[in-house]
Amino acid sequence: MSNDDETAKADGGTASQSETVEDERFEEHPLEWDEPENNDKAPDERDSVSHRTEKYDDRKLVTGQAKYTADYEERYPDLAYAAVVRSEIPHGRVTDIDTSAAEAIDGVEAVLTPESDAVPDAKYTSAGQSYPEPSPWDMHVLNEHVRYIGDPIAAVAAEDRATATAAVEAIEVSYEEADYVTDPEAAFDEDAPQLFEDGEVENEIVGHDYDRNRMAHIGGELGDVDGALDGNTHVHETEWETIRQSHANVEKHTSLAYTDEDDRHVLITSTQVPNHTRRQLAHLFDIPIRDIRVTKPRVGGGFGGKQAMVVEPIPLALSLATDRPVLYEASREEEFYAMRSRHPMKVKAKTAVTDDGDIEAIDIYALSNTGAYGSHGMTVAGNVGSKPMPLYSKVPNARFEADIVHTNTPQTGAMRGYGAPQGTLALEGHLDEVARDLGLDPIEFRRRHHMEVGDLDEIAGMMGGEGANRRIRSCGLDECIEHGKDAIGYDDLEQPDEDHLHRGIGMALSAQGTGVAGDELGAAQIMMNEDGSFHLQVGGVDIGTGADTAFLQIAAEVLGCDEDDIIVKSSDTDVTPFDYGAYASSTTYISGMAVKKAAEDAKARILDWGAKLLDEPVEKLETGDGTVYSESSGDSVTLEDIGYEAAYGDDEREHILGKGTHCTEESPPPFAAQFADVTVDETTGEFEVHKLVVAVDCGVAINPGMAEGQIEGANHMSYEMAVSDGITLDDEGRAEVADFDEYGLPSATETPPIESILVETHEPTGPFGAKSVAEVPTNTVPPALSNAVRDAVGVRIREMPITAEKIRAKLDEREI
Amino acid sequence: MPKTGGNAVDIELTINGERTIVEAGSGDDLATVLRQHGYIDVKCGCDGGTCGASKVFVDGDVRMACEMEATDADGSEIQTVAALGTQADLHPVQQAFVDNFAVQCGFCIPGMVIQAVALLDSNPDPTEREVREALDDNVCRCTGYQKPVEAVLDAAQRMQGEQSVAADGGHPVSAPTHGDESTSCCGGDCDE
Ligand code: FES
Ligand code: FES
Repeated sequence: MSNDDETAKADGGTASQSETVEDERFEEHPLEWDEPENNDKAPDERDSVSHRTEKYDDRKLVTGQAKYTADYEERYPDLAYAAVVRSEIPHGRVTDIDTSAAEAIDGVEAVLTPESDAVPDAKYTSAGQSYPEPSPWDMHVLNEHVRYIGDPIAAVAAEDRATATAAVEAIEVSYEEADYVTDPEAAFDEDAPQLFEDGEVENEIVGHDYDRNRMAHIGGELGDVDGALDGNTHVHETEWETIRQSHANVEKHTSLAYTDEDDRHVLITSTQVPNHTRRQLAHLFDIPIRDIRVTKPRVGGGFGGKQAMVVEPIPLALSLATDRPVLYEASREEEFYAMRSRHPMKVKAKTAVTDDGDIEAIDIYALSNTGAYGSHGMTVAGNVGSKPMPLYSKVPNARFEADIVHTNTPQTGAMRGYGAPQGTLALEGHLDEVARDLGLDPIEFRRRHHMEVGDLDEIAGMMGGEGANRRIRSCGLDECIEHGKDAIGYDDLEQPDEDHLHRGIGMALSAQGTGVAGDELGAAQIMMNEDGSFHLQVGGVDIGTGADTAFLQIAAEVLGCDEDDIIVKSSDTDVTPFDYGAYASSTTYISGMAVKKAAEDAKARILDWGAKLLDEPVEKLETGDGTVYSESSGDSVTLEDIGYEAAYGDDEREHILGKGTHCTEESPPPFAAQFADVTVDETTGEFEVHKLVVAVDCGVAINPGMAEGQIEGANHMSYEMAVSDGITLDDEGRAEVADFDEYGLPSATETPPIESILVETHEPTGPFGAKSVAEVPTNTVPPALSNAVRDAVGVRIREMPITAEKIRAKLDEREI
Repeated sequence: MPKTGGNAVDIELTINGERTIVEAGSGDDLATVLRQHGYIDVKCGCDGGTCGASKVFVDGDVRMACEMEATDADGSEIQTVAALGTQADLHPVQQAFVDNFAVQCGFCIPGMVIQAVALLDSNPDPTEREVREALDDNVCRCTGYQKPVEAVLDAAQRMQGEQSVAADGGHPVSAPTHGDESTSCCGGDCDE
C-alpha cells in the first residue's frame, strides 16, 4: 500500500512498448511456479488434506469444556474486575474527574485516570498490524480529549463485577464541550469542528489533512482513465452506500492480565494477534517485549474486531496498579458503541464502455468514515479498490482514490472483507447496471472481462508499486459461475402466478487476497515424542475458524501419521513460534505453509532414522500409515519404534524436531460467484429472498466441511450488510443499539437457506494447493441482492440496507 | 454483564445430577452463580437475554440462565450442556453438530445444543422451519444457521427410535412441559 499522495503511476506506453513491459513482467511474475512435486497431490493420493476431518477442538466445544478467556476467572482467587468510564459527550475536554465517591466504596481496589502513574501517556494505534504500523498513533489508553460517545476516560478495578460497575457510576466527569461532527461529508468542510489538533497525532499517514479531518488520502492509476472517459460514448456513474456493521462476536472482548513470579506480564486474552499485541503493549508501557507473554485460549469469534489491541491495556494498567490479576470483559452494550465496527462508506463507480460493450476504464472513489480514530483506516480503504478491481484486470485503464475522514462517531477497524465488501457492492452493482442499460446479459458482460489464469493483476501494483503485481495461477471464476447458475436455477426461473409478484436473480463476483503480499510471517515447529506422536507448535491463531485442524491435517499429510497422533498448540508468545496473526485471510496459506515446512523438516529426520533401522537408502523410503516404509523391499518400521530409538538408542540419540517459517510476496486471490433469488411485491416493495448460492474457488479446501462453514458464515454476515441497519447513530453519534435484539443480526428464521459450493482449483503457491476462503464470501450479497431486485422489478437500491420502503419509494418514483 | 448482588443466601440446586448448596446474592443471576461454581459451560454473550448462549434446563424447561434470579431456582434441577454427553461419548445432538461442521468458535454452542435437545424432545421429527424457529433466539455469528439447522435435522434422524435422551450419568433430561417454551424460552415469562 502506498502512503504516497502523488498517486498517478500511469503506464503511459504505446502498444508495442507495453508488450515489452508485459514480457518483462512475465519474467518477474512467472506463470510457472517452482512447486515442489509433493505439493500437488491428486485427490485420491491425499490421506488427510481435503478430508472432512473432525474439527480438532469440537468435542470440548460441544460439551462446554473449552476454555475462553473469562473461564480462567476461577484460577485466580484474588482476581479483580475492571470496568471503564466512557465519554458521554461526542467531543470535548475532560476538565475534572471526581473519583472520591468511587474510591470510598468498599471493595474498590483502584481508580485510574489519564493522570495515574500506571496509565501510559504514549500515543498508539489499536490496530494490530505489522511493523512499522500503517495506522496513525492517535489514541491514548485513557483520554482527556474525548472524541466520541464511548471514549475511555477512567478505569476501575474492584473485588467483583457489581462493585466495579457501582464505582464507574459513582465517578463524576466534568467536561468542556466542543462542537462535533458526525457526517463524513460535513467533516470535510473547511469550517467543520476539528478532531485532532497539531501535535495530537504521531506516525501520521501521508495524505493526512487534520485541518479538514482527513487522516489519509490514497490512490493510484493505470493507463489514462480521464482520456478513456472522454473518448467513450457510454459513461456511467453510480454511487453506493454501506452500513456501520458490528462484528457481533458472541464472546465479548475479554482480557485478563497479571504479573507472574518472574515479574513478567501475562495476558490471557481474546485476540487475533498475540504477537502484535505483545509488541504494542511493549511500546505503550515501555516494557521489553521479552517480559510480556500473550496467550490466546479459545476465542469466541473475532471477524477483525479482535485484530486490534482493543481492551488489553486496561487490565494490564489495573493489574500494575493493584498488584492483582485483573479481568476486563466488555459489556455487550460496549461492544456496540465502544469496540470496533466496519467503516461505513460512500463509494462512487464510473466506467467507460465502447459501443461494442468493451469496458475501457473503471474509476472508483471511496469516502470512508473512520470514526473518531484512524485504526485500519488507510489500509481498509485501500482494499476497497485493490480487492475487487483485479476481477477486471483486462480493463486497460483503472483508477482508485479514497479519502478517509474522521467524525465524532464510534471507532471503526478491521472487519472480515476489509474494505472489499464496500468496493464489491459498488463495482458489482455498477457493472450490473451498465450491462442492463446497454441491453447486455450481466453475466456474459462480466465473463468477457473477468480475470483468467495467466493474467497479470496490476491493480495491486497500481496501489503499491510494480513489485506488488500478481500473476494469476489459479482461477475458477467460470466454474463458479456455472455451478452457481445451476444451483440457483438461473435458466429456468419461474415467475409467480400473482401479477404483483416478480421474481429475479442477481449475481455478483468477488475476489480477495490470501495474506498481505510481502508482509506476512508464519512459523511452526514440530517435536516428536518417543511414542511416535507429535507436538505441533504454531503461531497461527485459531479464533474459531478451525485453523488448528487445518494445521494438523497439513502436518499429518506430510508426516504420514494418524491425525490423532498430533497435539496442536497454537498462539502463546512464550511457547509458539512467531506469527502475524489471524487476518487478511492468511492463516491457512502462510501459517499453514510454515507447518508444512516444519513437518517436512521433521520428516527428513524421521526418514533418516528409518533408513538406519531398515538399513535401506533414504531415497527408497516414504512415510505413511504411521510408518516409514520401503517402496522396494516392502519393509517398514513404525513411527513409535523410530521415536523410541531416536530418544533411547544405544549409539546415537536425537530429539526429532522440525521447524518451518514462511513468508512470501504472493497473495493469490480466491474467487466467488454469488447468486440471490428474490421475489418482490411491487405494491408494497416487500421482498423475500428464497435462497443464496455462493460458489467459491479457494484452491484445494484443506477441510471441505470447515470451508463450507466459513463460506456460509461469511455469507450470513454479508446478507446482514444487505438487509440490516447495522449500528445506527443518533445526531450526537451515540449508538442506538445496545443488545442483540436491537441490533439487526438476521436470526435463523430471517436468514434464507445458503448453499455453498466448493470449486476446486490448484494454487501452486499454497500448501497442497490451498488459498484463502474466509473473507471472499463476505463481499457479495449486497450487490447480488441489489442486482436481484433490479432484475425482479427494475429498480435499483444503492444505499444499504435494502428495505421494502426503499424499493417501494423507487417504484413510486418510476410510476410518476 | 452478569450481576452480582449482596445479602447472600444459601440455595439448593441439583446441577447435572449433583445436589449442591450454593451461595447466591439477592439479584445474582443463575448464569453467574453457575459459573462461579465451576459450570463454565454456561456461556454469557450479552448483557442478558438476547444471545441465547446461557441456555440451560431448569426443571426440564429451557431458560436463559442470565435472565433468571438464582434465588428463584432454589430447589430446582438444572442441566447444563455438560450433562448431555462427554467428549468420549457425545449426545446425538452434540455428535450431529460435530459431524455437520456446525461448530466454529463454539461460544454459542452450549445454548444451541440445549435448545436443540429441547426441540427434539418435544418434536422428534421437526421440519426445517420448526428447527429455525427453535433456534431463533440463539445467536451464532460464525456459521450463520445453515449448518446448525442441518445438524439438528440430522440429529432428529439419528435419534429416531430412541425413547429418551439419556444424559451423562443416567440422569434423564426431562422433556419440556410447555411446548412453546422450547421454541422461545424467554417469551416474556422468564421471570414469572
Ligand atoms: S448471556 Fe446472552 S442470553 Fe444469557
Ligand atoms: S460458533 Fe461462534 S458464535 Fe456460533
